[in-house]
Amino acid sequence: MITNSTMAPSATSKSASASMLMLLQTLAHGCKRIIRNPLTAAGLVVVMLLLIVAMFAPWIATHNPLAQELSNSLQAPSSEHWFGTDEFGRDIFSRLVYGSRITLYIITLVTVIVGPIGLAIGTISGYFGGVIDTIFMRITDIFISFPGLILALAFVAALGPGLEHAVIAIALTSWPPIARLARAETLQLRKADYIVAVQLQGASSTRIIFRHIVPMCLSSVIVRLTMNMAGIILTAAGLGFLGLGAQAPLPEWGAMISTGRSYMLENWWLVAAPGAAIMLVSLAFNLLGDGLRDLLDPRN
Amino acid sequence: MNVSNLLKYCALSMAISAAIAPSAYAVTPDDQLVIGMSMDNLLSLDPASASGLDVVGVNSNLYDMLVELAPKDASQISPAVAKNWTISEDGTHITFQLRDDVTFHSGNKLTAQDVAWSLQRVLKLNLALASTWKTYGFSADNVEQAIQATDDYTLEITLPEKTDPKLILYTLGSSPSAFIIDKKEALKHEKNGDLAHAWLTTNVAGSGPFELKDWRAKDRVLMNRFDDYWRTPSEMKRIVMRHMTESQSLRLMLERGDIDVAMGMSIPDIEALKKDDDVRTEADIRGTLYYVAVSMKDPKFSNKKVREAVRYLIDYQGINDSIMPNYGVLHQRPVKLGLPATLPEPGYALNIEKAKTLLAEAGYPDGFKTSIRVLSQLPFINIATSVQSTLAQAGINAEIITGTGNQVYGAMRERNFEMLVGRGGGGIEPHPHSNLRSLVYNPDNSDEAKLTNFQGWRTAFYSPEINTLIETALLEKDAQKQIKMYQDVQNLYDTQIGAIFPISQMVDTVLLRTDVKHYEGHQAATTRLREVTKER
Amino acid sequence: MLTFHLSNSRIKRVLGGLSSVAITLLGLLALTFFIGRVMPIDPVLSVIGPDADNSTYEQVYQEMGLDKPIYVQYFYYLNDLAHGDFGNALLTGRPVIEDIARVFPATLELATVAIIFGIFIGIPLGVYAAVNKGRTVDHIIRVISLFGYSTPVFWVGMIGLIIFYAWLNVVGGSGRVDLAYDGFVDPVTGMLLIDSALAKDWDVFQSAIKHIILPAFILGLNAVSFITRMTRSFMLEQLSQEYILTAQVKGLPKHVVIWRHAFRNILVQLLTIITLSYGSLLEGAVLIETVFAWPGFGQYLTSSLLLGDMNAVVASVLLIGLIFISMNLLTDLLYQVFDPRTRK
Repeated sequence: MITNSTMAPSATSKSASASMLMLLQTLAHGCKRIIRNPLTAAGLVVVMLLLIVAMFAPWIATHNPLAQELSNSLQAPSSEHWFGTDEFGRDIFSRLVYGSRITLYIITLVTVIVGPIGLAIGTISGYFGGVIDTIFMRITDIFISFPGLILALAFVAALGPGLEHAVIAIALTSWPPIARLARAETLQLRKADYIVAVQLQGASSTRIIFRHIVPMCLSSVIVRLTMNMAGIILTAAGLGFLGLGAQAPLPEWGAMISTGRSYMLENWWLVAAPGAAIMLVSLAFNLLGDGLRDLLDPRN
Repeated sequence: MNVSNLLKYCALSMAISAAIAPSAYAVTPDDQLVIGMSMDNLLSLDPASASGLDVVGVNSNLYDMLVELAPKDASQISPAVAKNWTISEDGTHITFQLRDDVTFHSGNKLTAQDVAWSLQRVLKLNLALASTWKTYGFSADNVEQAIQATDDYTLEITLPEKTDPKLILYTLGSSPSAFIIDKKEALKHEKNGDLAHAWLTTNVAGSGPFELKDWRAKDRVLMNRFDDYWRTPSEMKRIVMRHMTESQSLRLMLERGDIDVAMGMSIPDIEALKKDDDVRTEADIRGTLYYVAVSMKDPKFSNKKVREAVRYLIDYQGINDSIMPNYGVLHQRPVKLGLPATLPEPGYALNIEKAKTLLAEAGYPDGFKTSIRVLSQLPFINIATSVQSTLAQAGINAEIITGTGNQVYGAMRERNFEMLVGRGGGGIEPHPHSNLRSLVYNPDNSDEAKLTNFQGWRTAFYSPEINTLIETALLEKDAQKQIKMYQDVQNLYDTQIGAIFPISQMVDTVLLRTDVKHYEGHQAATTRLREVTKER
Repeated sequence: MLTFHLSNSRIKRVLGGLSSVAITLLGLLALTFFIGRVMPIDPVLSVIGPDADNSTYEQVYQEMGLDKPIYVQYFYYLNDLAHGDFGNALLTGRPVIEDIARVFPATLELATVAIIFGIFIGIPLGVYAAVNKGRTVDHIIRVISLFGYSTPVFWVGMIGLIIFYAWLNVVGGSGRVDLAYDGFVDPVTGMLLIDSALAKDWDVFQSAIKHIILPAFILGLNAVSFITRMTRSFMLEQLSQEYILTAQVKGLPKHVVIWRHAFRNILVQLLTIITLSYGSLLEGAVLIETVFAWPGFGQYLTSSLLLGDMNAVVASVLLIGLIFISMNLLTDLLYQVFDPRTRK
């Protein structure tokens, strides 16, 4: 994805608060268009579904996701166990339902960490330029010149396996693209008339960055974060699969595939269900992100 | 061949290979044995530093030993490079007479000097495998006197400390450090006085039935037959060992005949293959034990009542029935199964009510919080999951901390754990001392002693009474009395409630194609493939 | 996820030369080195096993230089590096450089076949989607390409093995070649397809093809998606240009307009895209190599990490960093040289 052109400088002449308003308007207007595009709508529906399932997990799940029943292990899907049971006799459907909470937890936490950090580094770097820019961008380069999963792997190896550590590792590897994006936006905004005007009024740099520049970058950063979510899900699942993510007995989807692997040939449902769940959710985020990008892309 | 031809060939062969059934070459060749196994623990082939059972299985086919232990009854010692041996009256000297017709792969004759040098080298390098020898009193300083070649074909071992000489013979027939290295060949590759350690890590200078052709870590080991082997040369021209950790792949390839032997498969796959007529299984009992350990450095577990409660909170039967098939068989004593000294099972069983009472008496009526360190592998993780759920029933809330072998045993060595599920306990030598030394013996319980090789020290279980009994039993010459003493140790361990609760004796299950004959797994992991044939 | 960043700073960096690359690499080096040293994995235990006694432990600990402060160790390491010595790997006991030279071709081979899949599937799909913009086909291709982004490769790999190896038996199982052929061909390039062709050992060649086809295809899925999407968007841009309309008006056949005119103009852009995704395949390789027991770079890196084998990890990380940076630089250079719009 070429990111330097996601946002045109069309809005640069308006004030920041007006631009926020415009973003909201665009979004409201966009909702209509989202619904009109069936693919984006499908993505939105699945994401909403994920939210609902995660929120009402205890009511949706048919069994306790951690309850072991060794006598009832490895049962094929049936009306009692919709997606069958695993090697400890735990209900896979219920584990998937509770697993959605873990997935959401990872996505949310990573996004909450990455968004502000990326924005801050990008805007500061872009606004001040010079030495600060060089230093920040060199650090960004170090992180970016490296495939995310491998760097995450190294971090998790350093911190020790576990859900929280996986989140930190993924966050550490996914802020640089956000920072790059925010910086590119800031570079375009910096010379805009209204920013110069505010500067002349004597506003402090902090104020300019946080009141005027950050809001302008927000929409493209949000789109970018949405598109990142699919990647986050896949990286988290990959870490879980390698045994470095969420630990037993947590029903994390990647870890479920990893343990189900031993039983795969006879008991396909052990890996089929969580794998399909990962694919569905990450596809949904991709569709949504794709739709949002089209929506906010001024060329459309 | 030019590029366009090559491309055509690519396209053609893709089409062909997709169209025809590949049965034409799916079966392994008649004169090759193809083995799929995990080589995760195969880091060095050097007999002085190689640790783990995997390397014994490899080196047993590349090197020779002085003596060998019988595959199914390891207490039977048979001659190999040594024709015969005598033990002096006072039990302090062992003299070996060597064969004179053994040659190394290099063409050099194998002499007693090679044997002496190989064994001295283990102590001089002081790497992983020196530990066993050090517990017998050997050291880098005394080993040149203690192990000597008196002439080309006579080797004399003088025991630096009194011990049971049988134990030394067992070690010589089973330890990965007992392989005989070609001294001349090895020393050609010595660097900075390293006794050829760097070279021998990846190369072999042996006299075994096979020569090493190629070894790539975590990839494969290739061996070719050594035609001048002093026994009858093998019928197999080549042995291919391939690093495969995926049980699924092993199973598919074994079913298909792409491999002849598969090791380290998971239970569901083994169970599925038991129905296959072309595949048979072979289970070998190993000396090591699966156990749950607690640290007595922790005030909770230093309380005997708490330890007893924990002993009631393990579902031995459930674990052995549902988790351990093909990994181990129920065993609750610190001395391995099958020895004359081993006592019948004590019959520990899950009893939540009793455990609760004990916990209340110990001052923990509502249980407590703790953690279980465990390897993130089968079957360890499943044992821990089971223990976690039974502990919870008595109010003990245990968090599971997974890790690699390094992390789990590393923490144990530093006495930095509360509970732990692991495997260990010596037992390579078919002698009660081997297990007890590793699991129970702890001559000095101070932190400074750092007896990190003793699991007794790691768990801070310290019983002077048991220590003394272990020491005297070792020197007892009357076999019946010795057995009695070892049984007393086990009874004491039961009443004093040691810090390690054995659950299962380890079993290694190997799966083979039925056309592979004369494969005999060894209890000490020294499985020798020289007699394997294929009948099709 | 493939990402592609073009910014002014990148172009400046190309012009700025290699010094900044060196700084980046040095930073990467420091980062991995220190990660390695705080890792809770004890490399000494990897060497001596869990049951060695304390005197052995102390001896090996000192031999490995771990008793010195971290910055001293880092300095020593840099010093060795300056002399071209990357140290020995614990895992194999051999120099890390030799190890990497051995495992890397396997990954390179896998990635190359994967990118071939990416090119030959991705470009036609992309062009087709662009030509049929807004129609059902376009939507279908869009969903297919998003699928490529959304699949957990390890999962598809497992399912693929079951279907194509276990059930249909049309591809080889794990590994690079049937085990019985292991070691038949002496490595020249390290890439088995080329080596076996050079040795004219067609049995091995055929076996190798059967083994590489599935993992390479699955690894290539991500590249297929990326290339499809980029091709589509490049083509759309071209198709809206005036000269295309002119050509159409002139009555040239449609396929001539599309392939001779429009497609030719996006070749440079495509080339840069392909270069970029080639580098990113390394990431997927870590997981694919685990599933298919492919003895490549990804497996080497993962197992070294889990053993705390820092010499191997740091060198591998440096190599990957180097590849990524040079791929990015190459991309920028391609733009500089061929694309008139970025010429100053």
